[in-house]
Amino acid sequence: MTFREKIHWVAFVTMLLAFGWYFLAFPWSIAASPSALWTAGGMLIPLTLGIIVAMTVATVILAIRNRKEVHLAEDERDRAIHWRGTHLAYYPMVVGTWACIGLIFTGAAPAILLNLLLAMVVGSELLRIGSQIWLYRRH
Amino acid sequence: MAKLPFTNDIRTLRFLAGEMTQGDLGDRVGVTRQTIAAIEQGKYSPSLEVAFRIALVFGKPLEAVFQWETGSD
Repeated sequence: MTFREKIHWVAFVTMLLAFGWYFLAFPWSIAASPSALWTAGGMLIPLTLGIIVAMTVATVILAIRNRKEVHLAEDERDRAIHWRGTHLAYYPMVVGTWACIGLIFTGAAPAILLNLLLAMVVGSELLRIGSQIWLYRRH
Repeated sequence: MAKLPFTNDIRTLRFLAGEMTQGDLGDRVGVTRQTIAAIEQGKYSPSLEVAFRIALVFGKPLEAVFQWETGSD
């Protein structure tokens, strides 16, 4: 497995675990209350810091263990894979955006909107990274 | 993934060029070893520029490296 693939796996697993925990641990019973927004904020700040630390540490370790590949420039295959992954991720982003617009008109609570936006971004990112991992294996 | 409508002789040409490695060919063409491996296995269709660069490394015309499969559209 190449350095690029390993980095993709690290990002995929980190996001899956971190946001999997967030969506499971979020107190959905109070999601409609004003305080839920601050609860979400309180959970997201350490979560974001944790993701940054975990990915930085993992990247440094992988870079030390794969020194030859660290400075390899992207070639046309890498760019094609990245483009296809990003293209696929565009669709859930659009669907999520329209869902948020629809929810705004129903007077949804801010925490609900926040979580929907978050789910949209996380889902898109997981699809992008996951599809790129799959394409690296297939192409 | 759809099968590419052309084959290539890169593996043979590498062998004939002093058992050149995929990494050496990649360095000379300007792509990674993994990309050369993917092209060689018919998993990735290279750009025209990379195809020409590969042919140039072996000093062959393009059609000596890549062959359109008869019967493909």
